[in-house]
Amino acid sequence: MKLFFAACVIGLGLLSAALYWTQADREGDVPVITWITQNDENKRAIVDAFHQWIKDEQLPPVELRIDNTNQDPTKKLVQGVSGVGADLLDLYMYEQDLFPATGMIADITEDAKRLGFTPDATYPALRGDLVVLGRQHSFPRNAGGTLYWVNRETFAKYGLPAPPWRWNSDEFEALGRKFVAAANPPGARQRIYFANGVSRDVLRRGLGLSTFNETGTFCTLDDPRNVSVLARVRRWVLEDRLFPTKEEDAAMAADITGYGSMFSHFTSGRFAMIYTGHWGFIMIRPRGVFQLAAVEPPQDGFPNTEMGGGSVAIYVGTKQREHALRFLQFLTSDPFNRLIVRQADSLPPVPRYAETEEFLHPAGRENEWGVHGAFAHSGRETGILYSRSPFVLFSQTFRIEIETYEAMIAGRLTPAEAAKQMADRINTEIRLTIARNERLRTLYEERLELQRRIEERRAGGRPVPAAWVTDAFHLAYYRAHGWLEEETKP
Amino acid sequence: MRSGRSQTRRLLTGLGFLLPNILGFLAFTLIPLALSFAMAFTDMDFFRHNPFRDEPIRFVGFENFAWLFGHPEFWHYLRNTFFLMLGLPFAIAGSLGAALLLTRVGRRPGLIPGALALATLVLTGSLLALRAGGMSEAGVWFVFGLTAVTALVAGVFTGGTIYRTLFYLPHFTSGVATFVLWKKLYNPQTGPINHALDPVLDGVTNVIRAAPGWFGVGLPLLAGVAGTLLAGWQLRRLRQHWDDATAGQVAVGFGAAMVMLPAGFLLFWLGLSTGLAAGFALGAAAILTILIVRRPRRWGPVCPVDTGLSAEIALALGLVPLLLLGAAGVTLGPALPAVAVTGIEPPNWLGDYSWAKPAIMLMALWAAIGSNNMILYLAGLSSIPPELYEAADMDGASPTQRFWHVTWPQLAPVTFFIFVMGIIHGLQGGFEMARVMTLGGPAGSTTTLSYFIYIEGFETGRLGYASAAAWVLFALVFVLSLLNFRFGNRGTND
Repeated sequence: MKLFFAACVIGLGLLSAALYWTQADREGDVPVITWITQNDENKRAIVDAFHQWIKDEQLPPVELRIDNTNQDPTKKLVQGVSGVGADLLDLYMYEQDLFPATGMIADITEDAKRLGFTPDATYPALRGDLVVLGRQHSFPRNAGGTLYWVNRETFAKYGLPAPPWRWNSDEFEALGRKFVAAANPPGARQRIYFANGVSRDVLRRGLGLSTFNETGTFCTLDDPRNVSVLARVRRWVLEDRLFPTKEEDAAMAADITGYGSMFSHFTSGRFAMIYTGHWGFIMIRPRGVFQLAAVEPPQDGFPNTEMGGGSVAIYVGTKQREHALRFLQFLTSDPFNRLIVRQADSLPPVPRYAETEEFLHPAGRENEWGVHGAFAHSGRETGILYSRSPFVLFSQTFRIEIETYEAMIAGRLTPAEAAKQMADRINTEIRLTIARNERLRTLYEERLELQRRIEERRAGGRPVPAAWVTDAFHLAYYRAHGWLEEETKP
Repeated sequence: MRSGRSQTRRLLTGLGFLLPNILGFLAFTLIPLALSFAMAFTDMDFFRHNPFRDEPIRFVGFENFAWLFGHPEFWHYLRNTFFLMLGLPFAIAGSLGAALLLTRVGRRPGLIPGALALATLVLTGSLLALRAGGMSEAGVWFVFGLTAVTALVAGVFTGGTIYRTLFYLPHFTSGVATFVLWKKLYNPQTGPINHALDPVLDGVTNVIRAAPGWFGVGLPLLAGVAGTLLAGWQLRRLRQHWDDATAGQVAVGFGAAMVMLPAGFLLFWLGLSTGLAAGFALGAAAILTILIVRRPRRWGPVCPVDTGLSAEIALALGLVPLLLLGAAGVTLGPALPAVAVTGIEPPNWLGDYSWAKPAIMLMALWAAIGSNNMILYLAGLSSIPPELYEAADMDGASPTQRFWHVTWPQLAPVTFFIFVMGIIHGLQGGFEMARVMTLGGPAGSTTTLSYFIYIEGFETGRLGYASAAAWVLFALVFVLSLLNFRFGNRGTND
């Protein structure tokens, strides 16, 4: 038995050594960098294009490999803070401030200047995603706003006009009611909806309200404007039935692609419109040829669209930093941007490629021509990033907003109670953060002082220095209204 | 000397064999446990304390606990956890029922196969009727039907072994796989559960439409009278047991609370706030308990405070659902005619705030029936001395009396163990289900303490705070286990 035990130990030891010595990056002389992203056809094409670009530019050879098994945000985060992250990490939405906050994302400010992928190389609206507390941490591999995709055939089928490019909430509601009434026989269970949903953030912003104040020191969702938005959305969902509830939407999901049944219902006519990004082409093109258009979400006053995208960051513990930086440089290259144009995976990161004929009017796809330009316009003119505060994780803000909204839809809270609860819970999280984090507490105090000065100036009708306003929405709103010093004194 | 060396060598050899396990225990249990205890008193946060940040970890005393208790969501999620645990008695009853059935299959081959054959016929007939009635998704139904029929027929011919295997199936099927399966079963539009409910509810709708007055007035009245009579019977029974010294103070309190719990639900459904409804239920239960236990006993005998508790728990399994049905009849009845006008829709199981928790409880019940509990009960049943049954038979005991006076008391140690383990698992549970099926929603209705700990620890990064929550959970488990040991019925002579 003892011998058997010893043999097991030795055997396991040998196998472990064999496994270690046969790891992917030990096979050859070419260094390997790993990129955590989806392993799909488009990403594999990007990898091939990167390898070709390295050759063409006569840069030191490197092999880029996709790791799609560790895509889960929590997995990425826990691996990263444990010191075993991948060289390149895709960052989406709330990860843009979450990951840099841990210190696991490399500061690439100086390298970006050296290699030419500073925030100036992409859409100005994306700046807040790439630069956290004054330092650049990532560069986008795609970008874009979110708009309503319109299936014009669905509207025509019920004898209704297609929606206009820009509309307010009342116009949206009126057309929506007409559509739902025309598309669903009275007395039967509703099967056809006006759209899959609506952005509460866009509606709030249209009224001049953001999730946070100008400096991110306080959540402002208890504002009466949010109450009116919540009440309206509740009416659209529960009374007018313009959209399915989240539960009905989930119930209609017959596929498991991760996007629910949104695209199949859009192409089959069960949703007249869907609210999503330009990348939707990847899902819609294989389903056939449809007469498409894209329109802005409804808003009452300030035109805005939600802007975002996927960016790539470098793990601070990487042993292949220079090669990883080359990949970020590749994202600004002609081959990469033209590849994104062909794939139609959102807007290419370099804006001028979104103005090319190849992007706006792809040959043989005349039915799509009304869509590409709309998204390019959104990225250029109206796109604004999600509002974020350094004092509360965006993931928490997001979760609290959704949870409270769902409680309102379930009838457990009134719109006023929901709005108050959103603000109270988010502000509690801010207090918890600054109570513990000395560095952020100092920043918070500085920002509180700035906030006081902003309010003082606004009360006196005077413009405010742009550097004081950190909230993406407020910056755009102030700029549009000429309330920034840089705008009034160029 | 030689013997000492030999002993040392044997000791070292033994330790060598144990070392992998000891190392695993140290690395994955003991050290993390100690670390988490220490972390609960620090401000550890992986946004500030990781290999790339050199901020010092500060000792914060009980601050994390103070924050936790001041966090309204913590109480919300704690309530969710306790609510989901309400299914525990049903799970115990289910696994006991399964064990009894499986024991009987082997023990009484003449009667049970006949019953199974009848059930097979009924099931087959039902399936054919459903099909003839224009049931869609016929393929799905035939698969289910065939599986059930095969199981029943096989059970008839093989005695019980195949049943034991089938009943135990949920336990050795991967949790995530079963959750995904149930998610599909619960799908309101494409799931087979709602497909089965649709025609039934259509029928109910037609009946209500035909006699709206009866349902609007008659049903609530009938449910109210039946519920009151049942509650009165239980209170009278409690008084009698107290007088006879066959129920102690704890048993009386529990029995009264079981009557008042549905009353609390009734008030809640009628629009009273949760706090007031719960306050009424608890207050009324306390008053009733005091009124009963202040009565002088007939012969003045004394009994321990927990006497008769297990009987009350067993009774509650049947009584509470009946009283809840009565309360539901009172509140739902008046609304039924209006609902029937537009048709009664089957529930949106996982999507509706009010249905999500019961849906998860139902799934947990299914899993619990065929779990280790059933195996424990099977073992417990096989160890009951047959002479006890023979004696009961000679005394002319009916099957019900055999169960209550022989089987149930003899199974008390097993039930106690299952109950303690159930409480522990119940408090710690809910994470996988929430993560896979609902992500804690809708509106946090299925977020349990364990999922809250996961969110705070791994999504928000507050490891110290999450550790504090984990230790509060431990304290709850500990206290409830102590109460179980103090008041639970561990012996076979109760």
